[in-house]
Amino acid sequence: MAAPPVPELLRAHLAELAKNDERLDGRGRFEGRAVEIETGVLARAEGSARVVMGDTIVLAGVKFQIMTPYPDRPTSGGFMTSAEVRPVSGVHWEAGPPSPEAIELGRVVDRGIRESGCLDMEDLCILPGEKAWQVILDVFALSDDGNLFDAFATAAMAALRTAVIPGERFDVGEDRPLPVSKKPMMCSYHRVGGRYVYDAVRREEIGGAERIHITLGDDDHVHSLQKGLKGAFTADEFAEIMDHARQRCAELRNMIE
Amino acid sequence: MGGYGDVQMIDENGIRVDGRTAGDIRPVEIRAGVIPVADGSAEVIWGTNHVIAAVYGPMEAHPRKIQKQDRAVLDVRYNMAPFSTTDRIRPGFNRRSREISKVTAEALETVVLTELYPRSKIRVEIEVITAEAGTRCAGITAASVALADAGIPMTDMVISVASGKINGIVVCDLNKEEDNYGEADLPMGICANSGALVFLQMDGDLSPEEFQQAWDYNMEAIAPVHVLMIEALEKANGGES
Repeated sequence: MAAPPVPELLRAHLAELAKNDERLDGRGRFEGRAVEIETGVLARAEGSARVVMGDTIVLAGVKFQIMTPYPDRPTSGGFMTSAEVRPVSGVHWEAGPPSPEAIELGRVVDRGIRESGCLDMEDLCILPGEKAWQVILDVFALSDDGNLFDAFATAAMAALRTAVIPGERFDVGEDRPLPVSKKPMMCSYHRVGGRYVYDAVRREEIGGAERIHITLGDDDHVHSLQKGLKGAFTADEFAEIMDHARQRCAELRNMIE
Repeated sequence: MGGYGDVQMIDENGIRVDGRTAGDIRPVEIRAGVIPVADGSAEVIWGTNHVIAAVYGPMEAHPRKIQKQDRAVLDVRYNMAPFSTTDRIRPGFNRRSREISKVTAEALETVVLTELYPRSKIRVEIEVITAEAGTRCAGITAASVALADAGIPMTDMVISVASGKINGIVVCDLNKEEDNYGEADLPMGICANSGALVFLQMDGDLSPEEFQQAWDYNMEAIAPVHVLMIEALEKANGGES
């Protein structure tokens, strides 16, 4: 990602707004943008979703491949997440090999899903030691107006939960739905104007400081955390956003089948 | 080309596997302004093909060595999303996408008034979301609409379509199944108003008569697509085109 010139005016404006507890687009501090989720949007993917949050638009597609199980886990399948933030999605994203930002996005989304245990790796085994399904999740940004993390994580869950294992095409049994037992959801917070806000837009990201990503599973279990960018936060600040994340993750969970 | 002569893709009444006759193109939908953060954008759904194009700029061209003193450069990227095909595509550029990006840039440079923006760059990003056959054509068509949506001055709009041959019969706009068994493929990029060609490729085997028929099918196919392009731009830009 090209480093945008540090916009001191924007920073000052955001700080001014924060004094009155306001935001650029009139939202409250912990108010998210409306979330639209549509599944089955990609004709060539075995599971797919499009998520729209304001002017942020992302796609997620699930594909399957047959792999040889790892020697130390002969009865387990595999799961891999790849995040693509191609230059189509914003003037600030450049062509070339995946940037550190895109790699971080993919890995944080991956961890939340993997660590929740929502995918039963043993269920993906076809023939112990020889054949297993590898689930490949590709998240793809079309339009980046901030908070790709949550958009990717939400699209990922919606796509996985509608994915069908293509047994017939690979000649290894019948097609069947991919079992996904839980719904880990992510909430992201950005320090803007000195305090944390939920679901930052791009301009808040540019004029903001550090960010925190929280993935909570069913029953509020914590499955992944990530602090990104330069900045420090206090235990009290974290407690406040964690409180909000519990409530918001539950709401997001209800939006997904 | 595949060249499997024994698979019957057209019945005795000249009806193709998807119900079209020889000269028909697949159903086409076009929308402009689909990427809110881009300066211009468009989506082309052409049969099962789903292609999105975004335009950013004109902006400063960097690194400096790519600058042209008398005009803008078109920085075009054609890419297939990993989930766009039956077998997943590993992300990253390959020789095919580089070639398509190059010929697409050259086609569009012909109609864009690049001399109005010296030393600058116009980024054109073409992303194939779902591929069926004919993605380069859908990409050029989508990029044309996206450039117009971005307000980039152009002398003409480019529409791209391919005709080919299956079972020895020339047909317009091959779908995936036909392409797999096809014996020739002739994609062309045609200017809507002038009728001039700015993009041309071909592979396979066509007699002079077959070649002429394929050429004529392409020429005839563009008019209805041009209407859809204008409608999409009018809809996205509040009535003016």
